[in-house]
Amino acid sequence: MGSVLEFQNISKYFPGVKALDQVSFQAYSGEILAFLGENGAGKSTLLKVLNGDYQPTGGKYLLDGVEKHFQSPHEAIEEGISVIYQERQILLELSVAENIYLGRMPVSRMGFIDIRKANEMTEKIIEDFGLPISPSTKVKDLSIAYQQMVEIMKAYSRENLKVICFDEPTASLSDSEIESLFKIIGKLKEEGKIIIYVSHRMDELRRITDKVAIFKDGRYVATVETGTVPEAELIRMMVGRDLGDIYRSLDRKKVIGDVLLEVKNLSSDYVKENSFILRKGEVLGFSGLVGAGRTELMRAVIGADEVKSGEIYLEGKKIRNRSPHEAMEHGIVLVPEDRKLQGILSNLSVSDNMNIAMLDTNSNRLGFVNGEKEEELAQKGIRDFKIKTPSPDKKIVELSGGNQQKCIVARWISTNPKVLILDEPTKGIDVGAKSEFYHMICKFAKEGLGIILISSELPEVIGLSDRIIVMKSLRITGEIAAEEATESKLLSLGMIGEVQE
Amino acid sequence: METNKKSRIKINGDKIVLLAAIVVVFGLFTSLNKNFLSVTNLINILVAASLVGLVAVGHTYLIIAGQNDLSPGSVAAFSGVMAALLVGKGVPFGVALILTIGCGVLIGFFNAFMVNRIHLEAFIATLVTQSIIRGFAYIICGGKPVSISNRTFLILGKARILNIPLSVWIMVICIIIFGIILSKTKFGRSVYAIGGSMEAARLAGLNPKRIITTCYVMMGILCSIGGVIFAARMNSGQPAANVNLEFDAITAVILGGVSFIGGVGNMGGTILGIILIQSFNTGLTMVNVPSFWQFVAKGGLLLFALATDYLRKQKRERDLLSASMKNL
Repeated sequence: MGSVLEFQNISKYFPGVKALDQVSFQAYSGEILAFLGENGAGKSTLLKVLNGDYQPTGGKYLLDGVEKHFQSPHEAIEEGISVIYQERQILLELSVAENIYLGRMPVSRMGFIDIRKANEMTEKIIEDFGLPISPSTKVKDLSIAYQQMVEIMKAYSRENLKVICFDEPTASLSDSEIESLFKIIGKLKEEGKIIIYVSHRMDELRRITDKVAIFKDGRYVATVETGTVPEAELIRMMVGRDLGDIYRSLDRKKVIGDVLLEVKNLSSDYVKENSFILRKGEVLGFSGLVGAGRTELMRAVIGADEVKSGEIYLEGKKIRNRSPHEAMEHGIVLVPEDRKLQGILSNLSVSDNMNIAMLDTNSNRLGFVNGEKEEELAQKGIRDFKIKTPSPDKKIVELSGGNQQKCIVARWISTNPKVLILDEPTKGIDVGAKSEFYHMICKFAKEGLGIILISSELPEVIGLSDRIIVMKSLRITGEIAAEEATESKLLSLGMIGEVQE
Repeated sequence: METNKKSRIKINGDKIVLLAAIVVVFGLFTSLNKNFLSVTNLINILVAASLVGLVAVGHTYLIIAGQNDLSPGSVAAFSGVMAALLVGKGVPFGVALILTIGCGVLIGFFNAFMVNRIHLEAFIATLVTQSIIRGFAYIICGGKPVSISNRTFLILGKARILNIPLSVWIMVICIIIFGIILSKTKFGRSVYAIGGSMEAARLAGLNPKRIITTCYVMMGILCSIGGVIFAARMNSGQPAANVNLEFDAITAVILGGVSFIGGVGNMGGTILGIILIQSFNTGLTMVNVPSFWQFVAKGGLLLFALATDYLRKQKRERDLLSASMKNL
């Protein structure tokens, strides 16, 4: 009598990326199945294919043996498939009951909305869930955790609910809130729903899931029973490669020089009073969980976000970066994390993308751009960084993610920077290109650049950095020399805020 | 590689479709009225296009930069009235022209201020300006057209060089200059960059707000010049003139391949778009289509422009996907 959700050879391509590549597996009712994989492994994409947000490029999915083609999340919900996202998808100005029965409010015989009945029905669900809230409360007056509960109740209120997916549901919840969420997920499990649970937090997976499906680079690797496989082994499956050799092959001999950049008590709207120093030739790693404030700190450093207080010194001289342009003029440049929206200029060519920061240098006093200089610079970039493109005039979006990223790095290197900030530079990039990036980073450091490397991949930070700073909850919580750094030390600094031996 | 370089001026599929549409429009109207293809009429089309052309140049920049402007009709009418009033009061034409253009600049700054600082949508912000400036056009002249007797002013509307009216020359020169700026200069490149992604462009060291301001100010200047020339042609500054001017200009620009998603298009396409829309408008009048129906027809043309824009976008996405799959 249980339901089965089956994926058959699901593929989803985006320009430059195979986000999902021939994924096939099954999920069964009454089981909590975890999706485990690195960022960009395809977990969220698969959920979006399942709920009709994306249309698969190939393959199909079946619910209880019946093939489904959802054109929108709405259709999926109608057929009993709901995804609870990190970002709330509810209307804050409406009440709990109105949100739950949105678009299908019970109506009286006269055709008016029967709010009393909606409240009664909602009350019943709230009781089932054992929550201390009222159906008529406006959702904006609830805590984040309860707002999420409202979403779950909304899914639950559909009598035909068969599949419920959670995408990093605990990201913004406190411990006690997580407990009540788990209780409810347990209840859904008892009722025989198919539950998919996406999370990076190993301890959560261990506690509540029955099986773990592992994804890597858009491919499905395997499903294992939770607890039967040691965590180290799980991680090896999800990384699927031993990067140790790559790191060992790096040429890291160099001289670390004087202090290059000093940041003192820097605050913006998003980060609070952080201080650190960076030396010439040094690779300074920044570790921490997603949302710890690493990106935001660097945005404040380059003036992308307004600095509220604090000081920045470059080679001993106090500087102010009121815009990324000023930072660039001081020689501080950033390769942003969100390559698609913040890195590449998607409508322009490879050459234009590489030359955009050099427009001043490449143009005469009247503002005319020297095409030959641009061509030269683009050809040099393509050669130096081994960028795979048929021509500099190709649109940058036609390149693979790794090659796009190289263009952005080439853009900045041509400006002769002093400090190069790389925010998750290898995210969503294949192994080959990754190793190229690692060699590149070491080469730049050797040439005397100061490099700040933000990375959520622990082996990457440990393997490349000379010193590692860890952030948690918008603050720097610690600093470790590379030779003493271990994954568990970094994790505990990032998750608890101190090293526990 | 060689061919790639030479094809800087691209005659691609989109342009061929547009040329074909122009041929069809010319063929159709010529078959309905033989005079359509006469030299006099062709010049008439160009004269009528001169104001729309200037505004379309401004829209090319703004829409590529991801912006828009609904105020040009009002600004042009206001400028015509203002210049006529000033010369009527004995101000020399040159001074009147400069003061009027100065107002155009201020209006551009005002539009940019609403977009950059108050973070209004360009569509809404410039709708505000449209209404305010139209109001001022009526207020400063008390609602009555202001006739022009200043000779220098009137020459602007009557003079011909090589038998082609001055207004056409001004449009052509503006198109050439602004076309070159768009394709060859730092500023032009920046306009494309911010239209593609404002945040990426900012992080790449550009100053999007300044670029947007420049585009709006440019548009203000173009509308002022266009409005003054229009008043010279009409022998008077008319507060009710140029309604729906922006509609024609936007239709021309979108027909020409500039896309509302931003970052796409070029001046060459805009030129073809201007020719198409103005020959269409003039043709409808020549074959005696009632003016009420002309509104309907124009709406149809804009719909056609938007549909081609949509189809082009789809094609770009398909091409992109297949091109990038090859590179994986």
